[in-house]
Amino acid sequence: MTSRAIISEFVIQPGTGKAIELLKGQILRIEQIEGGQCADFNCFNLHDYKEFMHCGRTRTVHGFHPSTGTFMWSAPPRERAMLYILEDTVGRNDVLFPRCSAYVYEASYGFSVHTNCHDIQAEAQREYGLTPDDVHDSFNLFMCTGVDQDGHAFMTRQTTKPGDHVDLLALMDVLAVPNVCGADVMKTSNFALKPLKLTVFAAADADLAKVPNVPKLASQRTPKDFRNPAIKSDRPLRRDPAYRAEFPNTPIVITELPISLEPDELAMFNAVKRTDIYGDDDAAALRDLLFSWWEERFLQAHAGAPSIKSK
Amino acid sequence: MAETIVKLRLNQQQLELMDRTIAQGVAPDRVSLVRLALREYAAARKADPVTETAR
Repeated sequence: MTSRAIISEFVIQPGTGKAIELLKGQILRIEQIEGGQCADFNCFNLHDYKEFMHCGRTRTVHGFHPSTGTFMWSAPPRERAMLYILEDTVGRNDVLFPRCSAYVYEASYGFSVHTNCHDIQAEAQREYGLTPDDVHDSFNLFMCTGVDQDGHAFMTRQTTKPGDHVDLLALMDVLAVPNVCGADVMKTSNFALKPLKLTVFAAADADLAKVPNVPKLASQRTPKDFRNPAIKSDRPLRRDPAYRAEFPNTPIVITELPISLEPDELAMFNAVKRTDIYGDDDAAALRDLLFSWWEERFLQAHAGAPSIKSK
Repeated sequence: MAETIVKLRLNQQQLELMDRTIAQGVAPDRVSLVRLALREYAAARKADPVTETAR
């Protein structure tokens, strides 16, 4: 690795977090000091806080444990790559669990006050004028999780050591907000709260060269494309009497397409059609077959996730 | 034996996807595309009969 210039360094103590202006081309390293500590992470477009990192989109593209070579994506309709995970010495992060909250510790453990990631994030973000409602779903660094057979997410202990780190390269100017996870009565951080080291570097050319190109598409919309670009400034919701619905591609219109099947085609169809789902509705079964085939032959991503291959 | 007619019911977005696929040269028209899908889909399952069990 070519040497990187250090721009700033911080240590975040247990129970705290830090909002950091991370400019495009800078790297935030989140590093274990003692080992065994989970870091929760939020991220906002520095120039428009309404664009923020979206764990849902990130996990559909990269799975439940994004690591080196993956991106953190912003929420629809922006859907831009905000950060690139340039290096991850552990390879075990989580985008399944939400941030822990005061409610969790009160409801499950009886604490009237307890360190928790929501309130820590909110306090760190307050430095930039954000409110507790602005804290978003957390990317959980170093958190060891999975899904059990009955469909529940579980967490277990981690094996991180001093010096283990994740390097996040900013692909746009962001407010990056890591915090020391407040969970000391769960396995998340091996039942202890420890400090974490943060270092901001200027990326070297070799770092920037590692970032794959991602598509830039018309569907990645910004406020200039919104019918209502103004941020609502009060809390109650009131109906706009001037509202006229403009849903895209509506009305949905059905067209019939007759398909004549030769006896051999009918035999093929009968052998593979999904009667378990469609019963004797052959039209629905053939439609399913058509688009299932299309997915298998042409889709370049997991179903439901955007392709991130550049054209 | 007589042909069997299956009347697919497709909306404009589904037809658009079919037409863009046809424009790539995959098949000459919508009916041919459906027939191609049927043949390839069935052939894939004949070669690998467990493919469909999980989805």
